[in-house]
Amino acid sequence: MRGTVPPETQDPVAPGGVIVVCVGNDLVADDAVGYEVFRRLADSPPPPGVTLHYAAVGGIALLDYLTGKEKAMIVVDAVQFGAPTGTIHRLGWDELPDFGAGAISAHFIGLKETIDIGRLLYPERLPSTVMLVGIEGRRFDQTRDAMSPEVAAAIEPAVACIEDYLHTLQQGI
Amino acid sequence: MNKTITIDPVTRIEGHARVFINLDDTGGLASAGLVVNELRGFEKILTGMDADRMPLVTARICGVCPTAHHLAATNALDNAAGVEPPPAAKLLRELMYMGHLIHSHCLSLFVLQGPDLVLGLDADPAIRNVVGVVQAVPDIAKKALQCRSIGQKINELVGGRGTHPVTSVAGGIAFVLDADRERQLNAWIDEAHGLVLELAPVVKQLLMKMLDSHPAMLKEWVAPAWSVGTVKTDGTIALVNGEIRAVDQGGSLKAQFPTADYDSHMSESAVEFSYMKQVSFVEGDSRHDYRVGPLARLNVSERYGTPLADREREEFIRTMGRPCHANALQPYARLIELLYCTERAKEIMAAPEIHGETRVPVKFSGGRGVGHVEAPRGTLIHDYEIDENGIVRGANLIVATQQNYALINTMIAQAATSHVINRPDDQALLNAVEFGIRCYDPCLSCATHALGAMPLEIVVNRAAKPHVLRRNC
Repeated sequence: MRGTVPPETQDPVAPGGVIVVCVGNDLVADDAVGYEVFRRLADSPPPPGVTLHYAAVGGIALLDYLTGKEKAMIVVDAVQFGAPTGTIHRLGWDELPDFGAGAISAHFIGLKETIDIGRLLYPERLPSTVMLVGIEGRRFDQTRDAMSPEVAAAIEPAVACIEDYLHTLQQGI
Repeated sequence: MNKTITIDPVTRIEGHARVFINLDDTGGLASAGLVVNELRGFEKILTGMDADRMPLVTARICGVCPTAHHLAATNALDNAAGVEPPPAAKLLRELMYMGHLIHSHCLSLFVLQGPDLVLGLDADPAIRNVVGVVQAVPDIAKKALQCRSIGQKINELVGGRGTHPVTSVAGGIAFVLDADRERQLNAWIDEAHGLVLELAPVVKQLLMKMLDSHPAMLKEWVAPAWSVGTVKTDGTIALVNGEIRAVDQGGSLKAQFPTADYDSHMSESAVEFSYMKQVSFVEGDSRHDYRVGPLARLNVSERYGTPLADREREEFIRTMGRPCHANALQPYARLIELLYCTERAKEIMAAPEIHGETRVPVKFSGGRGVGHVEAPRGTLIHDYEIDENGIVRGANLIVATQQNYALINTMIAQAATSHVINRPDDQALLNAVEFGIRCYDPCLSCATHALGAMPLEIVVNRAAKPHVLRRNC
């Protein structure tokens, strides 16, 4: 299965390629949405130049996936931005909300901070486009069978949103 | 922002932590503590699964220390099946674990504590974060993140998969060291070792500077308690295979036992303000609070067994004493372990036994299996009841943060006393409370990592007038 292979052993990304990283704990209710989107995307062979990964956690490890050859990275994850459950957010990295820092629970470094760090330390590795497809979740303290119906219903539209975006990127628009 | 706060566990989400500091009518400290909601549902979902799946499923409990769960689970399965994995398997599991610890300790020291150490407790919270560290000391940050990344790569190569490893199985490990992998691992380990040698003096100096500017940390933030960790029979520290040892606050040996006996020594109990159960050490009719993690491991063991770590250990003991109960020195102990991990990884790669057989056959004939490891944050125990068909019928997990819980709450009371009470409502002073908690590196969001709100609130209740002083979300 793609995405289960450590980055250093994967096929090299074609110059100008797109990397899609789906993030989430497949055992936790709404957090499993990233995994479900990954499974759906993996059903069919990815379009040329697109590499698909599943990462159980995101954060700073996302930088390890980047080689400098990609033109875009799409991160798919459950989010809690305060919108109605099931809302699909499609945001560029500079549009991501800033949650402040210093929280003791911040084992997880946010996507925005990760990209900020990447731009400061490894500017040569960062693609010009970084986008988050975030699915608003509600239940993060229950197991997989308790996924909110609104989140489950958002899986297909989120997949369509990503496929649509990949298509747009391929057109070079 | 004035707001009445009710501490109601039902409304809390995973990863949401709240610190409360209650003051009495005279302004003195009445009580203080940390409220957390830990997802305990995992023990329930393990029931009914194939025992063979435990190392895979339990690794998903946590995105921070998956390899600790992965290996505690395989130790428990070895125990259930009554098998001893071949020496090569034990070495390769330990190698995977050294990679994991290098990653985890770098994350804790540089990403989580880095902002406190580099920018100081009184830095503006807007810049007191890892991006601020990267801006302030880009060269150090780059080396620290590179070291973390190498640790993760070692973990991935031996563990077979990113973040959540898959290769350790009952009876051994599904991994064979070929020449290419050996070359790659040696190169990574040498690079990590070189980076740690450069980074260690910098971190130590930053920590000492912090302690100089906050004298209360070494004088008042001291909580004498028992220490629990894992040792080999000769008292050398052990992280993956060994016996659990407990010493009292004076450092006297109180108990040493194989993992399976943990439940006659450790007792879980509920606290009224939080979902997380705390664990205490049982001695006759007495119950003792105890500490686990890097500082406790330094207190219980006689040596690390590698030259540079032992040299730094001697320096620690010469300057700080042993047993040590100053929580602010946890990062120092963590730093010594980071040195140990790169040294130990080199030793493992040089051991001739690493090229031997890596599996023995396993059959579950029914019964209990108990295993443990020293997770980055402290002793982690997995206890399964397995039936004759190899199905898990019951599970109990004891995680590090539960065992440190009583002392984390003591830490909050001490930091509140030295830095908050009778002082103006200064945001900078509250950073001291957070720093104190972070010294334990508590894992509060074990099960999820959703982007977005992961709030920490510090609530000071001044004689029935609650006041939220800090809300990070």
